[in-house]
Amino acid sequence: MVEPDRISVVVDQDLESIMPGYMANRQNDLLQISKALQSGDFNSIQTIGHRMKGSGAGYGLVEVSDIGREMEVAAKVQNGDDIAKLAERLESYLQRIDIVYKEL
Amino acid sequence: MTSQDHILVVDDDPDICTLVGDFLEKNGFKVSVAMDGKGLQDVLSNSTIDLIVLDLMLPDEDGLVLCRNLRSRSNIPVVILSAKGGEMDRIIGLEMGADDYLPKPFHPRELLARVKSVLRRSRAQPEDSLESEQNACYRFAGWTLDVPTRQLYSPSGDKIFLSGGEFSLIMVFLNHPNRVLPRDQLLTFAHGREIEPFDRTIDMQVSRLRRRLQDDPKSPSLIKTVRSVGYVFSARVERGDPIS
Repeated sequence: MVEPDRISVVVDQDLESIMPGYMANRQNDLLQISKALQSGDFNSIQTIGHRMKGSGAGYGLVEVSDIGREMEVAAKVQNGDDIAKLAERLESYLQRIDIVYKEL
Repeated sequence: MTSQDHILVVDDDPDICTLVGDFLEKNGFKVSVAMDGKGLQDVLSNSTIDLIVLDLMLPDEDGLVLCRNLRSRSNIPVVILSAKGGEMDRIIGLEMGADDYLPKPFHPRELLARVKSVLRRSRAQPEDSLESEQNACYRFAGWTLDVPTRQLYSPSGDKIFLSGGEFSLIMVFLNHPNRVLPRDQLLTFAHGREIEPFDRTIDMQVSRLRRRLQDDPKSPSLIKTVRSVGYVFSARVERGDPIS
């Protein structure tokens, strides 16, 4: 039974050994985004967004790719408000996600 | 796939290197990783590589230039894996000599399938045939193509530049003269991939190649259009020893 605020995501079981590292790297992204936002370093945020966009769906996390895509755009136009909202969305997603590994 | 094909993954994102490297290793490949153009050259100097998975946006070099340079001096198949996923990006990537192009984000199983497919096709051509093809000089309608140097000479002796895609395409025509080649077959022969709906890659390349060969597009004499089918290279082709 999945709790109402939890998000269950099915991921290829071949990725099970590398998923914890990927999730930890996204937590690190949140820290880097927060620091970069404070210093106005939009280039770094654009790079983080670009990489999240490219890798998220490959790891089975389409939402990470979607957030990354929007983050990259927001950083390009230096929209700090949107970046802060997207960082909150990523944090919430990472807190609520339950990964189920299956043979795909 | 033969036992332990060696794949080189070139990408500046450690998460992509981990994902692709781990997935390919789990499926029986040996994998090396490079984070930039210099790393790629280092691995190539020290290892025998069977296929390269190449990102285009690298910190020190443009992946497209790397791809073109690789193609001019080796036959190692290249699969581009890039966030640049637009139609023109894919066309340019293939014209620079890539064997396949997969946009990010991607599913690792699709990448695995494409890697296997490209390896299979790259081995479909016998090595001795490839060897002799690559040490030849073709003459047709006054034109000369010296394969080892990839140099095309016009009937008046002018050197004509060919892109990687144009070179691949003219090689297909020169090896299949006076035969109707369907567009999908041309794409498979020239680039090792299957045609997709609305794919105009071949038509654009034929158009460019006609310009290089000074072939009137309204009434071409060398590369003739076979309506709704493809193209035929209409010339007597002679193969001899290379100029160089």
